[in-house]
Amino acid sequence: MQIDLTTPAGTIFALLPEVVLSVAALAVLLVVSWRHQGARDSRLAGWLSLISLALTGAALGWVALHSPEEPGLGQMIALDTFRYVGSGLILLVTTGSVLASLGYLEREQLVAPEYYVLTLLAAVGMLFMVNAEDLIVLFLGLETMSVAVYILAGYDRGSAFSAEAALKYFLIGAFASGFLLYGIALVYGAAGSSNLSLIGAQFSQGDLSLMGKLGLGLLFVGFGFKVAAVPFHMWAPDVYDGAPTPVSGFMATAVKSAAFLAFARVLITGFQSSALQWQPILLGLAVASMVLGNLVALVQKTLKRMLAYSSIAHAGYLLVALVPGTPLGVSAMTFYLLGYGLTSIAAFAIVGALGRNGERDLTFADIGGLAQGRPWMAFALAVCMLSLLGFPGTIGFIGKWYILAAAVSSGQAALAVIVVVTSLVSAGYYLPVIMAMYMRPLRAPLVFFDRGLSGTARIAVTIAVVLILGLGVLPSRALDQADQAAASLPQSAQPAVAGR
Amino acid sequence: MRDFLTSVAYDRWILNALILIPLAGIIPVVFAPPARAKTIAMVVTVLELVVSLGLWWGFDPTTAAMQFSVTAPWLPQWGINYTLGLDGLSLFMVLLTTAIMPLAVLSSFRYISEREKLYYALLLVLLTGMLGVFLALDMFLFYVFWEVMLIPMYFIIGIWGGKNRLYAAIKFFIYTMAGSLLMLVAILVMMFQASKTSGTASFAYDAFLQAAPRLDALAPWLFLAFALAFAIKVPMFPFHTWLPDAHVEAPTAGSVILASILLKMGTYGFLRFAVPFFPSVALSPMVTGIVVSCAVIGIVYGALVAMVQPDVKKLVAYSSVSHLGFVMLGIWAATLQSVQGALMIMIGHGLSTGALFLLIGMLYERRHTREIAAYGGLARVIPVFSLILVVTSLASIGLPGLNGFVGEFLVLLGSFGRHPWATGVATTGVIFAAAYLLWAIQRIIFNRLDQPENAHLHDLSARELWVVLPLVAGMVWLGLYPKPVLDRMDTAAKRYVELAKPNPEPQAETALTRPAAEQP
Repeated sequence: MQIDLTTPAGTIFALLPEVVLSVAALAVLLVVSWRHQGARDSRLAGWLSLISLALTGAALGWVALHSPEEPGLGQMIALDTFRYVGSGLILLVTTGSVLASLGYLEREQLVAPEYYVLTLLAAVGMLFMVNAEDLIVLFLGLETMSVAVYILAGYDRGSAFSAEAALKYFLIGAFASGFLLYGIALVYGAAGSSNLSLIGAQFSQGDLSLMGKLGLGLLFVGFGFKVAAVPFHMWAPDVYDGAPTPVSGFMATAVKSAAFLAFARVLITGFQSSALQWQPILLGLAVASMVLGNLVALVQKTLKRMLAYSSIAHAGYLLVALVPGTPLGVSAMTFYLLGYGLTSIAAFAIVGALGRNGERDLTFADIGGLAQGRPWMAFALAVCMLSLLGFPGTIGFIGKWYILAAAVSSGQAALAVIVVVTSLVSAGYYLPVIMAMYMRPLRAPLVFFDRGLSGTARIAVTIAVVLILGLGVLPSRALDQADQAAASLPQSAQPAVAGR
Repeated sequence: MRDFLTSVAYDRWILNALILIPLAGIIPVVFAPPARAKTIAMVVTVLELVVSLGLWWGFDPTTAAMQFSVTAPWLPQWGINYTLGLDGLSLFMVLLTTAIMPLAVLSSFRYISEREKLYYALLLVLLTGMLGVFLALDMFLFYVFWEVMLIPMYFIIGIWGGKNRLYAAIKFFIYTMAGSLLMLVAILVMMFQASKTSGTASFAYDAFLQAAPRLDALAPWLFLAFALAFAIKVPMFPFHTWLPDAHVEAPTAGSVILASILLKMGTYGFLRFAVPFFPSVALSPMVTGIVVSCAVIGIVYGALVAMVQPDVKKLVAYSSVSHLGFVMLGIWAATLQSVQGALMIMIGHGLSTGALFLLIGMLYERRHTREIAAYGGLARVIPVFSLILVVTSLASIGLPGLNGFVGEFLVLLGSFGRHPWATGVATTGVIFAAAYLLWAIQRIIFNRLDQPENAHLHDLSARELWVVLPLVAGMVWLGLYPKPVLDRMDTAAKRYVELAKPNPEPQAETALTRPAAEQP
């Protein structure tokens, strides 16, 4: 049986993962409105949301298996491998961040179970962003996600920094949404449609009108804010720093992935033929993000802020993958998102376990000698740092290599050189973490005694580390998936430079 | 012997075994009690050595083709394979590696007393990485091994090193990574250029070799990226500044591995990749001029700086800069003798400098200082140690009858025809080498016994003798009867000389001159 989009039932089936997750989120909300007293209720909500995510995953698998071969153009919802792979990625990192949150919220006494409902609702928004073939659907998904994440950022009500983070994120996020919406309006005015395929057909000669250019420019501003690319990054360090650590992890991985996946679809399906016009802008954003993110991360003293700036740098690498506008580039971006997602979830979970009270003051010196106090935790964090650095043997290397390949294959060798030079700079802040853990003496043997990962976070970190190393050595299958996803994306133009 | 090897299908599994045995050995090292780690590591490295010895007899010296090759698909969509192979260039590097490692482990038995499991596990990872670099025939695989080997060395310097270890470790890491990342971009660019003509993506060494002459205007840049990575590793003057720091701070075994094996990866890279890929760039008058000058400066400068070092470990570190300068000169002269000489120095330097570091380490374990001034008159207290130190130093200096002489003589002989002036200056390096080592020996083991602490040192134990005697035996053997070794490297050296001829294809010639011609 294939999904038939011409019937109402078919539309429901096509949206099955989103429907399942929305219903599940509301069901969890219903449960927690009765049970919101103590840690037990919070834990219950957490486990219920894990079940919801699993059910959504099953629904996603069902849709992927019954996907029509020729969905036809002009739909609002995409039925392609790119959507399935992207949604799978979102569900994976969301699951990881729920697992990391379970013990953390109890320890920090943030036991309001609505946390999980908001996480699920944010994930619903992300799924819509990934499947949107229409700019309006995209915007709805983006707003659903954003509103939920604004609240999550301020979830530590007792902390002024958390409140600051929420306010900052909300104000700037609202601006970004405004830019995006205005951009959508202008693009609609220029193309006569908000559907990406139709926009692509309209502009297939690369003849973007002034209004179209303005619209596209505003879309860039909106997405630039969401992915925290320089110069739209100002909010990111403070927000990542102030928000509860699992939320920072969630923002760095899931929110960023959703924004990048949606951005890739907009560029490839809607505006591929005008690549010559937007490539220089994207190139500038990418270079600025890589250079500034890496240089500023170099002088950070606390781990959490270092990870925040490093996430700006990684946004730069991801933008490099989009610059060529080829399926190879999109494939590289998708794979890199997987690698970055796995690594960041684990890294933020470990930082969350090591610090206290929001981890704002966890410095490099504080983890001195961790390898002797907690060898496996130190090993996991070291693997994460090497993966972020892009070292062979980890998934981060394959991801970075793929991005380099995408850049080089479209004749952007100079850009590839900038990627590797800035990666070298990043060794200057990733290595000190390893250095502190392994090469500095143990400060006080008892410090790490109670600083272990909670049970569920340990599962998440273990799985992430196994995947980081496993996919770092045998990435073939995952690369195939990413390739298929990128190839399934409707292209509005034959690319000037073939992918391979 | 060959019959036996054939009967066990040696050529089909040996290279895989060399890569996998150390990796498998990590598991018992990590899960055994800490006190057992060194024994297990010793067993694994000795097993590795025994297994690798078959290569000596199984190797066919009459062909320049890759032998013992194994291949398996790794990332088929990118034409990336797990391909290993061995020829006369890599044979001796592999044997040197497998021979040095058990000694490095044995020398650590007393020196390393904390976090032993981690230490020995890292040594085994290092062993796999180093062998992988010498065996890989797929550029992607080569790059992976090349980088992977950085991590264990970084930890070994950073955890078990001396006072300034953190600085030395990060300097080592960043220097090496700086070079290799650009090489990664160069590899990718070459792959895409090659796939344009062949139509299929491939990272195979042979595919690169075939595609290289058609790179035209890109070739100088690509050569630069490769050469930078290798020059830092060698280390060639002026990229040598990480070496003294790393050597001085590293624990004994770390210094030994660095000097004996890691440095050879740079010269191996030139012999295997940088020069054969881009002969018309590498051997163009300008590049030759730069490299030969740097090599000669390295020879003389390294020797002069070594002479004034108060720290004996630093002295040996700078002597490496000098010796590796000879290797670079030999590689760039590209005559049969000079290349054979370069290979001989690579082997000989591995033995003699490795032995010097081991001996210094033994002295350090006794007195906990490396200041030359703190010693004197040791010959009367510890005669066996002194004798071995003298023999090793003489080998390093290049006394006829010991290994150093053969290599340096061949290099000078082979290079004189091509670069008479440079060779003339390089010859002074041999004299300086005699000066700094003999002077150091005089101050350490002769002179007056003026420090009371030195009067009661005990001589080498049986374990320590086992560590150095195999190396001394190797030095004497290579010095007296190098023929079997030279025979086995003959075809590979010839092939290198063949490949290193500036490209006769007219197409490449015009491509190289075109940018100049376009300028008015």
